[in-house]
Amino acid sequence: MIEVIEIQIWQFLCIYLLLLLILLIMRKCKVDKSKILIMASIKMSVQLALAGFILTYIFDNPHLLFTLAYLFAMIIFTIYRVLKQQKDLNIRFKLIIAGAIAFSGAFTISYFIFVVIGSNAFTPQYVIPISGMLMGNTMTGVSLGLKTFNEALKDQKFRIEALSCVGVSADKILLPFVKQGIETAILPTLNSMLGMGIVSLPGMMTGQMLAGTLPTTAILYQIAIIISICATVCLSCFIALYFGSKTLYGIRSQNIQLD
Amino acid sequence: MINSKMIIYSKENLQFYDIHYPALSFRAKTFNFITGKSGCGKSTYLKMLNGIIQPAKDMIFFNDMSIEAYDILAYRHKVLLVPQNVYLQSGSILDNFVFYYNNREQALPTKDKIKYFLDICCIDKPLDENCDHLSGGERQRIFLAIFISFAQEVLLLDGPTAALDEKTSHDLMQNLKTFCAKNNLTVICVSHNQTLVDNFADNIIKLGEKS
Repeated sequence: MIEVIEIQIWQFLCIYLLLLLILLIMRKCKVDKSKILIMASIKMSVQLALAGFILTYIFDNPHLLFTLAYLFAMIIFTIYRVLKQQKDLNIRFKLIIAGAIAFSGAFTISYFIFVVIGSNAFTPQYVIPISGMLMGNTMTGVSLGLKTFNEALKDQKFRIEALSCVGVSADKILLPFVKQGIETAILPTLNSMLGMGIVSLPGMMTGQMLAGTLPTTAILYQIAIIISICATVCLSCFIALYFGSKTLYGIRSQNIQLD
Repeated sequence: MINSKMIIYSKENLQFYDIHYPALSFRAKTFNFITGKSGCGKSTYLKMLNGIIQPAKDMIFFNDMSIEAYDILAYRHKVLLVPQNVYLQSGSILDNFVFYYNNREQALPTKDKIKYFLDICCIDKPLDENCDHLSGGERQRIFLAIFISFAQEVLLLDGPTAALDEKTSHDLMQNLKTFCAKNNLTVICVSHNQTLVDNFADNIIKLGEKS
C-alpha cells in the first residue's frame, strides 16, 4: 500500500518537469516571466494542498457553517486579487467593485444551487467546487474588464477632453468605455462556448466523467456552469464598471478625473 | 463695439496652484487675444472659463452671474472651448461631424452648412476624405471647423493656428473674425503668433508679467 502511494507521488512529481520546458522556452525567447512562473507554481501547489486538506475535513464533517465560511473566504479572496491589480482607483470605485463581485457571486451561486440543482443539494461537494469555478472566472473576467476600461481611458484622454469641452455629459462620455470593458471581460467565455464539445471537453465535465458520471449527465452540469459563468462575469463587470465609472466625476462639475 | 457690455470676467486673486491671475474682463462681440510665455497659465485660464478646471467659487462671471450658478453642460454649450489637443476619429470628415453631433445629441447640419464651416477653416476637401491621411495642420482645422459649428456665444480658442503656416493662419483668422462678427460671437484666443495678434486683436492681454 505504502509502495503504491510512493510510486504515485513520484509519477505525479514528473509533471513539474514540464515547467523546465517552459523555463527553457522563456530563456530562449527572453520572456521575463520565469520568476512569476516559479512563484505561481509554488503558490498553486501549496494553496491546492491546503484546499485538499480543508475540503477533506469539510466533506467528512458537512456543516452549513463550514460551507458558508469557505464561500465567504473565496469571495473575499477574489475581491482581494482583483483590487490588488487596481491600485490607482479611488476608494469608492474599489468598494463598488467589491460589492459587484460579492453580489453577482452570491446571486449566481444561490440561483445555481437552489433553482437549477434543487435545494436538497446544499452539500459541500456541490456548492464548493461550483462556486470555485464561478469565482475563478469572475476574478479573471473583472480584472480583464477593469484593465481594458482603465487603459482605454488613459489612451483616449484627448477624446474625453474634446467631448467634455463641447458639453457632453460625463456619463455619455464614459459609456463606450464601460461597453468596451464588459465586451473584453466576457469574450473569453464566449469563445470557449463556441469551441466547447468540439475543441475542448471542459474541466467540470472531464472531472465528473473521471469520477464515473455518465457523459449525458455531465454535459447538463457543464452547460449550466458555463452559462452561470457567463452571467456572473457579465453581471459583476456591468455593476463594477457602470456604477464604478460614476465615481470618476462630480455630478455638478461633470469633469472626469483620470488620475 | 468697444462699449459693448462685459460678457465674461474673472476677479482678482483668481489662482490655480501657483499661478495667480489679475482681474480680467472681456466685452461681448470682441476678438481678444491672450499672450504670454508658455507655462504662464494661458490654457489653464481658458479651461477655467469653460469649467473644465474649477477654481475657488465666485471667481468667474458670465453675463453677470457666477458660472457655478449655470447648469455646467448648458454653460459649456454657450462658452465653448476648442482644446489644444486635436481629437478626430479614424474615418471621413463627415464621420467626424457625425461623431460630435451624435455625442451632443444634435441633428447633423446639411452638407452645404458643413462645407461652409470647412471653408471658414480653409479646408477644401470632399466630405468623404479620410482624416487618417491628412496632415496635422489639416486635422487641426477640421477639428476647429466642427467646434465653430457649435458656437453659440463665446468661443475660447487654445492655439488654433499652432500647426499652420503663416499664410493659412492669416486666412483662417480673417475668415474666423468675419464669421464671429456676423454671428455676434465673443472670441478669446490664446496665440504665440505676434503678427496674428497685431493684425486681428480688438484687445490684447499679456499674462505672466508683473504689472
